[in-house]
Amino acid sequence: MASISIENIKKAFGGNRVLEDLSLHIPDGAFYTLLGPSGCGKTTLLRCIAGFHEADAGRLLFDEDDMTRVPTHRRDIGMVFQDYALFPDKTVFDNVAYGLRARGVGKAELRQRADRAIESVGLASLAERYPAQMSGGQRQRVALARALVIRPRVLLMDEPLSNLDAKMRTQMRDVILDLVQEAHITTVFVTHDQEEALAMSDRIAIMDRGRIAQIGTPEELYGMPVDAYVADFIGSANTIPVSIESADPLSAGNVRYLLGGRSLDGVRACDRLDGTGILIARPEELSLAPVDPIVPNAVPASVLRRQYLGFKTSYRVKLREGPEIRVDLSAISRAVDFHPGDSVQVLFPAQSRVIRA
Amino acid sequence: MSFIKPKWWPWGVLTVISLIILAFFVLYPLGVLFNNSVRDESGALSLAGFSQLFDDGVFLKALGNTLTLGVTVTTLSVAIGVPLAYMVARYEFPMKNLVAVLPVVTIVIPEVIVGQSWLLILGNNGLLTNFMERIGIELPSFYGWNGLIFSMTLVYYTYIYLGVLAALRGFDGQLEEAGLSLGTPPLTTRLRVLFPLMLPAVAVNALVVFSLVVGNFVLATLLGSRVPLLSVMTYNEFINEMGGSPLLQSAMSVVSILIVGIVLFLQKRVVERKLYTMTPGRAPQAAPVRSGAAMIFTGCVGFIIFLSILPLIIVFVAAFTETSGPVMRWGVWSFASILRIVRSAPEPVFNSLTFASMATVAGVVFAVLASYLIIKKRNALTQSLDYIVVMPLTISGTVMGIALVQTFNTGWLVLAGSSAIMVLCYAVRRLPFAVRNASSTLFNIPDSIEEASISLGVSPLMSFFKVVLPVMKASIVSAAILMWVTTIAELAATIVVYTGGLETMPIAIFRQIDGGRLGLASAYGAVMITMILVPIIVSIKLFRINLFSNR
Ligand SMILES: Nc1ncnc2c1ncn2[C@@H]1O[C@H](COP(=O)(O)OP(=O)(O)OP(=O)(O)O)[C@@H](O)[C@H]1O
Ligand SMILES: [Mg+2]
Repeated sequence: MASISIENIKKAFGGNRVLEDLSLHIPDGAFYTLLGPSGCGKTTLLRCIAGFHEADAGRLLFDEDDMTRVPTHRRDIGMVFQDYALFPDKTVFDNVAYGLRARGVGKAELRQRADRAIESVGLASLAERYPAQMSGGQRQRVALARALVIRPRVLLMDEPLSNLDAKMRTQMRDVILDLVQEAHITTVFVTHDQEEALAMSDRIAIMDRGRIAQIGTPEELYGMPVDAYVADFIGSANTIPVSIESADPLSAGNVRYLLGGRSLDGVRACDRLDGTGILIARPEELSLAPVDPIVPNAVPASVLRRQYLGFKTSYRVKLREGPEIRVDLSAISRAVDFHPGDSVQVLFPAQSRVIRA
Repeated sequence: MSFIKPKWWPWGVLTVISLIILAFFVLYPLGVLFNNSVRDESGALSLAGFSQLFDDGVFLKALGNTLTLGVTVTTLSVAIGVPLAYMVARYEFPMKNLVAVLPVVTIVIPEVIVGQSWLLILGNNGLLTNFMERIGIELPSFYGWNGLIFSMTLVYYTYIYLGVLAALRGFDGQLEEAGLSLGTPPLTTRLRVLFPLMLPAVAVNALVVFSLVVGNFVLATLLGSRVPLLSVMTYNEFINEMGGSPLLQSAMSVVSILIVGIVLFLQKRVVERKLYTMTPGRAPQAAPVRSGAAMIFTGCVGFIIFLSILPLIIVFVAAFTETSGPVMRWGVWSFASILRIVRSAPEPVFNSLTFASMATVAGVVFAVLASYLIIKKRNALTQSLDYIVVMPLTISGTVMGIALVQTFNTGWLVLAGSSAIMVLCYAVRRLPFAVRNASSTLFNIPDSIEEASISLGVSPLMSFFKVVLPVMKASIVSAAILMWVTTIAELAATIVVYTGGLETMPIAIFRQIDGGRLGLASAYGAVMITMILVPIIVSIKLFRINLFSNR
């Protein structure tokens, strides 16, 4: 186990600056997720930590040890690959034992440790199989056992679940969390699936084009996104430009804003606000009401599309003098049903956050 | 903290070493050859060699003949190969599976055997010639254009067939269905949809065949005694100028390199740009044909395959047939020829075995390393490695041999006259095939398994041995076998570089044919084919290796 410190790392491929002066501290034992859209540099950062890429500038520390120039095979890491990367010519046992052999672990201990690792991922009966004879989920488990059996200082995973079907994916989340927590190992987990990130992580770093957009616990990122990018990325919030009517600089963050010709209450989520702002409203926090009677904190709108999804119904509505947004009504709260063409009001909760434009 | 190795260890170092080796054995000899072509007696720069050539009527005639032969054989190969591929890809007919032997046949039957067996059948004392003579029909002479065109077409149509078959199999049948759904009738659809998409594949393979015909020495010299051809003329000039200044041989070699260069340029610039990448869809189903047509299909395909395999049969029959001088006494069996080469002239057999083994080991080791660097460690240096490795493909065997002799017969490294130059010839000429073979497998091995090994604490170099090599095992074996099989049969380059005591089987065959002793030639041929077939059969049976899957 070790904490990981990344200090001002830069990495460019040719002229393409992929990581720009990026710093991060990953505490000892944390399950830390790098989250961001395709191409934002998650894999590049992970591979810099692994040592497959050499950073152009900056430092990398495991605890106090400077790893910046240490070659990968001496970094004492465990890595789980997106395509599992099992050795096709070796059995499950030999795959798992590979790292132990490289470390010169004695025969008896090797046998015992590898067997236990295979057992811990529930594959005891498949130890003599070859990778080609196993399902995707099983291969994933082998990859996990192979990375953990060497008791690495840090565990690195690059979208390990993306090749699995939806059901297997949720199942493997628990397997991974159980194993990692039991081993108390610092884990860096790369994904572009925000639900996965929220469900698994102690902390999440949201990346945007080679920079860190925000770091926080899942609750912080969901509840208090610092900007529209983060808000949209986590939970796909509606981000609506509004004009600020009054923002009390003294009282703790109340703001009145204008939207669709109405004046609404919200929460100020940044130091200063004037002129215009961005309202962050999650689809599931909004609700719909008939156009009559006028209710407080609501904006007139018309329904464009209705999508029935079982546990909820998702509406696409056009705000009067505003953008199109999404409103999700859960199956239980769905007292009334609306249809395309209906005139409605969209109710915004008074806790909706307004940030600087 | 553990000590840190520099970034260029080990792959950078190995790249540089490979480049140096290749530059020294491939680029440098070519440089020497080009240099020799523009030096006069005194060593001053001059174009005298070229002007002498282009004033020489015989040379111009040879050049014209060579190009004519290239065009003719290419056209005929297309005319046979394309319909054959189309029949096989699109129709079901009885005994269709026989075509599976065709890719094997191209590898297993060396050109020298093809030439020799057709001489046995259609030559002056040939089986069929004599038979026809007896019933009063005089066949036209096989020596010259007839024999050249016939035998080369039989050797090269398989290239077109295999290339076009692959393209047809990769053709997305939905495109044709789309055409049909848009209302064009089936035949029009094929013409408008299939034909334009297949044309580039045909053109690429046709250009390959053309350059192979231009460079062909073996059949040209066996059958073309009355038709001056560039490759034979170059070889004769090489013999003439032995010990003198190598001006004309160099100039002629340069001319043939330029011809192939132009062809390759066309291929890269014009044709390959038009090669369409199709999303691999469902290949169209092969349609069964009606019984009448099926007879015709089976007949045509069967006949072509029969002609392709015939040399194999003939050479074995001839090896065990009694001879008296140049006359084969067909029907009278005898072990005399075989016994004679085993007892009194086994040296070519041993030489072939030794040289081919050494070349195979050296070539495969180098090919695995080079293709690993090229595929897995992409950078500017390995890119140039890639270019140099395939260069020998573009240079005919005769020219390669001449360049090697010119380079290594003097100076600080003299290889001429030693077995090293034979091994070098083999290895350099066949390297591109071995590299291609290894590359295609490496290409399919994900980088991640190597990285997984490194992440588990094994150094990059050891990871290569522990993880990459085992996965490549099958393709290494098949590369080795292909290398072995093709080096055993190599003649065009080694006939140039060999000296007394270095004779190999193909050279022995060639000399026996030259001396009119077809029986002995056949005996060597039978031994040679056995040595080609045994490893193939063993590998297919024992290692279950599919040698011909990626051809
Ligand atoms: N080896 C490389 N050479 C050149 N460019 C690269 C290389 N690796 C990554 N890049 C570029 O760096 C950028 C970031 O790539 P990276 O793989 O880190 O993205 P990512 O966040 O992991 O995306 P994804 O979610 O799609 O995996 C991309 O623009 C990519 O094209
Ligand atoms: Mg990635």
